[in-house]
Amino acid sequence: MTPRWGMVIDLDRCTGCQACVVACQAENNVPINTEAIYLQHRAIQWIRVERYWEGEFPNIKARYIPVPCMHCSEAPCEPVCPVYATYHTPEGINMQVYNRCIGTRYCSVNCHWHVRFFNFWEPKWPESLHNQLNPDVSVRSRGVMEKCTFCIQRINHAEQNARLDNNRPLRDGEVNTACAQACPTRAIVFGDLNDPESEVAKIANTTDRGYKVLAELGTNPSVLYLKKIDPDAPAEHGAESA
Amino acid sequence: MRKGAMRRRDFLKLVATSTTGAVLFTGCGIGDGDPETEFKIESPALNPVDLVYGRDNWYATACQECPAGCGLIVRVFEGRAKKVEGNPDFPVNLGATCARAQAAVQELYHPDRIAQPLRLSGARGSGDYQATSWDDALAAFATELGGARGATLIITPPLAGPLGQVVASFAEAFDAQQVAFEPEERVVLREAVRRVFGTDTLPTIDLARAEFLLNFSADFLHSWISPVQFSRAYGEFRHGRADLRGTYWHVGPQMNGSAASADRWFPINPGTEGLVALAMAQVMVAEGLVDQAAAARAYPGITLADYTPERVAETAGISAEQITELARRFAQGTPSVAIAGTTAAAHTNGLFNVAAVLALNYLVGSVGQPGGIILNPSAPFGADVPGPAAGLAYRDWAGVINDLNSGRYRLVIVHGANPVYGLPAASGLREALGQAGKIVALSSFLDDTTLQADLILPVHTSLESWGLQAPDPGPGYQAVTLQQPVVNPFVDSRAFADVLIQAASAAGGALPWESYEAVIRAAVEELRGLRRGNVEAPDAEQYFMAVQAQGGWWDSDATADEAPTAPATPTPVAEPEYAGDPGQFPLFLLPYPSNALGYGETAHLPWLQALPDPMTTAVWTTWVELNPATADRLGVETGDVVRLVTPRGSEEMPVYVNPAAHPDVAAVPMGQGHTDFGRYAKGRGVNPLNLVEPATEAETGALAWAGTRVRVEATGRKVRFPRFEGQVPAFQLEEAPIVQVIPGTH
Repeated sequence: MTPRWGMVIDLDRCTGCQACVVACQAENNVPINTEAIYLQHRAIQWIRVERYWEGEFPNIKARYIPVPCMHCSEAPCEPVCPVYATYHTPEGINMQVYNRCIGTRYCSVNCHWHVRFFNFWEPKWPESLHNQLNPDVSVRSRGVMEKCTFCIQRINHAEQNARLDNNRPLRDGEVNTACAQACPTRAIVFGDLNDPESEVAKIANTTDRGYKVLAELGTNPSVLYLKKIDPDAPAEHGAESA
Repeated sequence: MRKGAMRRRDFLKLVATSTTGAVLFTGCGIGDGDPETEFKIESPALNPVDLVYGRDNWYATACQECPAGCGLIVRVFEGRAKKVEGNPDFPVNLGATCARAQAAVQELYHPDRIAQPLRLSGARGSGDYQATSWDDALAAFATELGGARGATLIITPPLAGPLGQVVASFAEAFDAQQVAFEPEERVVLREAVRRVFGTDTLPTIDLARAEFLLNFSADFLHSWISPVQFSRAYGEFRHGRADLRGTYWHVGPQMNGSAASADRWFPINPGTEGLVALAMAQVMVAEGLVDQAAAARAYPGITLADYTPERVAETAGISAEQITELARRFAQGTPSVAIAGTTAAAHTNGLFNVAAVLALNYLVGSVGQPGGIILNPSAPFGADVPGPAAGLAYRDWAGVINDLNSGRYRLVIVHGANPVYGLPAASGLREALGQAGKIVALSSFLDDTTLQADLILPVHTSLESWGLQAPDPGPGYQAVTLQQPVVNPFVDSRAFADVLIQAASAAGGALPWESYEAVIRAAVEELRGLRRGNVEAPDAEQYFMAVQAQGGWWDSDATADEAPTAPATPTPVAEPEYAGDPGQFPLFLLPYPSNALGYGETAHLPWLQALPDPMTTAVWTTWVELNPATADRLGVETGDVVRLVTPRGSEEMPVYVNPAAHPDVAAVPMGQGHTDFGRYAKGRGVNPLNLVEPATEAETGALAWAGTRVRVEATGRKVRFPRFEGQVPAFQLEEAPIVQVIPGTH
């Protein structure tokens, strides 16, 4: 069966340490976000950790939510691309084809999660840092959109190895995204949602804390969040406290 | 381009004539309307080129970005290190990494790495150097060394294991004095652990089996002693058990990155952690929740009855009811565990703060028990190999600085430590180094201390080096990481220990090893002699290779001896003292180690500079966090530049209005304010230690870097404040208040 790649992010495990953010940048040749880039509000983070506040001092809580691309099944970014640079792979990944992209940024406008990033500038690294760049991942040029790919290069690599190994199916855990692999609290779990035995599917199928961000838009994201438990919070309708 | 495919130029023409590009294909009847078969343009999803992969190799090694000693595996492709991952087998981090470990590759390929030996060509501190050859540099080093017997000072981080052995042997051969630099509050923590648990090694926390965690100020998930080890355990603590979610309460003056994950936060005045712990013990005894005799043993020489919540509440800045609530909850935990660190240890009463909190574990029987504090055994090295060493306390640095000023040292050797940055400017170390005859730095970067050197010998970064190290804290049993070079040296550098061995030989004091690799091999051979642990092999060579492949050696049966039942040495009660008159300096200055930059040792790495702070999301800068009410009173908002004035000095920086900030605290992250340290760190931000009055912790003499009061003055100027917050278009909030979701208002 064709995999459908997906992710579960447990917000009750996440501590906001941002190891995922650097791991992603290291794996995917994301340009260095300089101070000037931040001041221009053009920082590129394929996965970001948002922090938001609840309450007021002293009864205040800081909450974290790591946000990668949701890889929606009905992705609103896809139909608006005039050149089919955004498209959906048969394995459920929302891909950006860099050499089709002509930089209209329609996809970015149409993404409610703001996980598509435009290269306003040619990405530049000092010569010596080129040695770190991942040879499996294109460096995107100026004028091109880029985004989380669920580390497609790792998936392809693993699938190729499995084909060479008597064409066997991929095993759960054989491929992992950089963010999930780094995550110190194991808040991020990646895998094949179509494989009922995979860890990600087991969590997704059994949890009572699951929700999808902006689920009401009906885009069917492939990223499932497990909500933060707040023992002090007044009971919500239908919510269970641990 | 494949057959049947549309040419890109034709396609663009079509698009240009249609505003509805997306429906073009079905509408115009070109092809079958399925873009998957229509356009076989190269795609990164299934790119034919991508199907031919080069061969990558994965090598196990050890992380040196902080002292925690996590195991790593590094992807190496065509001789270049590409990506760092956690070693899934190594028991400290079990495959996970922090952000800093990921950035080790940027250290390796940093554009401002020192690429060849350098000789000072201008005035000291000018940064004017001339390249020289290794032969000349080593000869110069050996000459200095030979002429400075009994007058040499060696400054390193605390060194244990084989590297400690080499440096100790070197120091002995040249009658040199060896001092270690580490963040001062670690000195306090080590002493507290020695007193309370009787061990030289730091303990670990068995969070995965704990029910209740009470943390006093330690940023244990982000920057404290072994954050990845604790984060792994924290994940299990929360959701590793089907029927139990661990509960975490945080007591401390700041909602730091760890406190943000707590179920409840009890804001207290800085430095009152120990008093709160005593009051909790008093409540637990008074209410019969714990054994009175055990409490008396846990706090020898202290009359607990004197520390009622009512007596402590005002000093601590929380209510007596809250202290009682903390005590009851702690006594109820099954089991509970209490930890303290980071700013708690950085006060004039830091030792008392940490010791009083750690002793709480005795009250509930959590020492050496599942779910509690697990003591670590000593490292499995031979008797001639140094065990964990503590850094020098500030009081003792004062002695070293006096000696420097008196001209006692003809030669100063510095490696891996940056005390010119890490000790407060008030220490006078920078000026004292000017009195040293010669300064030789073995360093990869021109950091603040290296900048004072007369001769710089470039050394390997962690991914080019050998090493053997027992992580401190370990995982509760004996474990050793083997660090191996995963790539050839990128520049003309050498290993620190090899340079010592070569220089010693040239100076007529040959050490008993021919290379550092030989030292490591000998130490691994000693591990083989133990006949236990994770690796088995028929001979020495295969054994060494097996340890290399595994990334280390560990023996889960080699745990610590029976845990004690009471502290070995009493710690007297001490109340915090702050430098500065409260009338003139109304706020507490609270410097704190940064998640990404630590105490400044990773400020040269662009990924870490660009990594948003967990609480403020600020990047590339230094800021002061103020509570909204405090900021209102001063008439400032985020991005306004203020002047922080302490009895010691003043510095300017922008404000970040932090809704979780304690109203009486001005918190400033450490890490920035380097005089050099490469293009990404140089001249950026402020070192808050410039503001710190060099008061010391009463018992250990360590610097009380959180014990200074401060006044914040508006300057009327404003800067654009680089931060992640507001990057996402939907939350375009430049200089506008943070959106707060308050229950009941929506």
